[in-house]
Amino acid sequence: MTGGALLAVDALPAFVDLPFESHYITSIVRVSLYVSLVAVAISTLFSLPVAMVVGFSEFPGKSLVTAIINTGMGFPSVVVGLVVLFMLSSSGPFGPLGLVFTPEAMIISQFVLATPVITGVSLAAVTSVERNVRDAAFAMGGTRLDVALVVIKEARFGIATAVLAGFGRAISEVGSVLIVGGNIAYADGTSYTRNLTTAIQLEARQGRFETAMFLGAILVALVLLVNAAVGRLGGSGRTR
Amino acid sequence: MTALLEVTDVSHTYDEAVFEGVSLSVERGEVLAVIGPSGVGKSTLLRLLALFERPDRGSIEFEGTDVWAVSEGQRLEMRRNVGMVFQEASLFDAPVLRNAEYGLRVRQSWPDRVRRGVADLVGRRNGTSETAREALSVVGLEGKEAQNARSLSGGEAQRVAFARALAYDPGVLLLDEPTSDLDPRNTALLEEAIDEARQREIGVVLATHDMHQAERVADRVAVVLGTGIAEIGPAERVFEAPNDDRTRKFVAGELVY
Amino acid sequence: MPIQRRRFLALAGGAATAGVAGCTGMFDGEDEAADGGEDGGGDDGGGNGGDSAASVEGEELVLTTTTSTYDTGLLDEVNLAFEERFGTPVQAIAQGTGAALETARNGDADVIMVHARGSEDEFMEEGHGVNRRDLMFNDFVILGSPDDPAGIEGGEDAVEAFETVAEAEEMFVSRGDDSGTHVAELEIWDEADAEPGGEWYVEAGAGMGDTLNQTSQQGAYTLSDRGTYISQRGEIELEILVEGPVEGGPEILANPYGILAANPAVHGDRNYDLGMAYIGFLTGQEGQEVVENYTLDGEQLFFPEAISEDPNFEQYVPEGWSANGDADDDETA
Repeated sequence: MTGGALLAVDALPAFVDLPFESHYITSIVRVSLYVSLVAVAISTLFSLPVAMVVGFSEFPGKSLVTAIINTGMGFPSVVVGLVVLFMLSSSGPFGPLGLVFTPEAMIISQFVLATPVITGVSLAAVTSVERNVRDAAFAMGGTRLDVALVVIKEARFGIATAVLAGFGRAISEVGSVLIVGGNIAYADGTSYTRNLTTAIQLEARQGRFETAMFLGAILVALVLLVNAAVGRLGGSGRTR
Repeated sequence: MTALLEVTDVSHTYDEAVFEGVSLSVERGEVLAVIGPSGVGKSTLLRLLALFERPDRGSIEFEGTDVWAVSEGQRLEMRRNVGMVFQEASLFDAPVLRNAEYGLRVRQSWPDRVRRGVADLVGRRNGTSETAREALSVVGLEGKEAQNARSLSGGEAQRVAFARALAYDPGVLLLDEPTSDLDPRNTALLEEAIDEARQREIGVVLATHDMHQAERVADRVAVVLGTGIAEIGPAERVFEAPNDDRTRKFVAGELVY
Repeated sequence: MPIQRRRFLALAGGAATAGVAGCTGMFDGEDEAADGGEDGGGDDGGGNGGDSAASVEGEELVLTTTTSTYDTGLLDEVNLAFEERFGTPVQAIAQGTGAALETARNGDADVIMVHARGSEDEFMEEGHGVNRRDLMFNDFVILGSPDDPAGIEGGEDAVEAFETVAEAEEMFVSRGDDSGTHVAELEIWDEADAEPGGEWYVEAGAGMGDTLNQTSQQGAYTLSDRGTYISQRGEIELEILVEGPVEGGPEILANPYGILAANPAVHGDRNYDLGMAYIGFLTGQEGQEVVENYTLDGEQLFFPEAISEDPNFEQYVPEGWSANGDADDDETA
């Protein structure tokens, strides 16, 4: 899918006269996908266990965790960016890692933004799995892990929705990645930390609205494409 | 010889259900019906036998070993000697065959399971599903293997649930009101399957509020009234000549809780 | 294609850092394929020099600068030349002058290129920056819609023009972002016999490009650097109403750019040598030539200021600074 999108952009100038270099666009798309897909993948691996624990066990502070998840879903991205910048900046606690103004810093802030969304929606999905299905898995000799896997499988559409929502939040947010990534492109037009949203912001600032619109169209197309791909993956067998 | 399943002086409270000093045993190849009015905790008793939770007091032994006195790993092994069918079919959102295979699959090693999953993905199946197919044929569902379990009728679904528990050849089979929502035909099919389980030397515990079903399929009957077992004995004797006064009233339909 | 290859090396270095998060394949796969097995050698880009002191390849240089140098396209031009010479791509972060200096204060930049002398001096006095050089200049111009409702066109005095706009209460859009341009604008208001405030005075809180767009949409007045205006005038409906010193306008509209390095004593993990190489390159013949020759729409945007036969000691120290420690003492002949 990734390759397809890039290929399409590469192929475009052959028959359309674009007001910019395609190399610039492809490297921006690549950075966008790299940052957001990695952020969402890590976030999903983190969110599912959290959703399972919060959904199916009792522990002190559970209501606090739930509250954090719920408020986190609407957390302003610029604030996340500021906090991540503070943590990663050379003068901050994680300064020695040298992550400020790198794609990895963008991954961290998108992870922070996507995780409450993915956890929250997954939580709703896994807790809606009926108890008797969990009981059945246990009674057939399933371990706790087996039961958890059954729950995830039963809730797969809800979880897919969660991942999509998280991806949408990650790839379309501009505030935090601008702050922690710095919107860097090298002089030859190769993006380092410039993704679609920060590029759109920059192009609009410079009054190049056509390029901005084109980037915006790519962004929307990417989100639609990922939606369709996920919908297709989970589409078969949905009979409920 | 030790019993397949031995419950000794178990007391437990779960939600509304309370029982005290319950003792019973199940042998291989017999069907023990647990009857009683609804709400007396038959389901709770079966959940204890399936090791969902630990009883407040008393012991549960499988072939002479106290299930709560062993390590977690050993308990898992004992638990895996138990099959269970619930009042609701509780099937997974997957094809019928995958449901029937479930118990077999969780018993495989992780490398095998991963290999199996990959084989499924590329559409090549191996022979381990044969036992599951055979179990499905016991409940008369040959040819429905590929259908999604959620698209079955209630009766078919419950029969898949039975095949799912039978497929891994458990020593003990726990049936919690399995036919209470079913029509006569499906009830009859399931009762035949219970008979098949008995033929296979499985010890069956059948919780039911249907006394006629107990009369039809059970070798022995335990009557649960109030907070404990009022009477336990051979089915014929309990129904023909109950010792306990309350049992007599219950069997006669005079006792309404 | 030496540039291409060097860029790949730097990318590979960046990707090695990225390796922590996995998935580097997406990032450098194509370049790698195109590069026929040239190996980046794993020289970690995050390090300050690493083991191979002889080469700066694979090192990173982080420059914070103002939106005006970036948006005009000058920066890409000089950075390409620098990369060609040193093999290191420049990671340029375009911010307002205030933000650029703040980023450097946090130790997140090697070199700072800005245009607000007062802020630069403060930065040096705090010990964050060293080796300041005058780099280049252009000028500010006062822009407005062609119909010029306040009637300031052709004026020779910027302060007077501001006063006229304030009197007429015609809309004036300020950057409002602590940028060099914003600081310059406030200095003019300081001189003026009018207070910026009221409904006619709005703060965009945005970069020059955004501010120009907004000003054009509103038919308002604003202060802009000439470079950004030229690079964008095709997209907007604004005209120069008061010229800057480049075209014979008042000196108060001068817009000098300075460049300085993060103090290695304070920010020990910054890449000071490479930063000084960058400053050296930009203030040397080659860099100054690039500045001189950079045109947009046939107009020169920036005027080199670093090379001069006459000594200019003022550029190295805060304005008014004296070796005897008393800034007010005027002992020089």
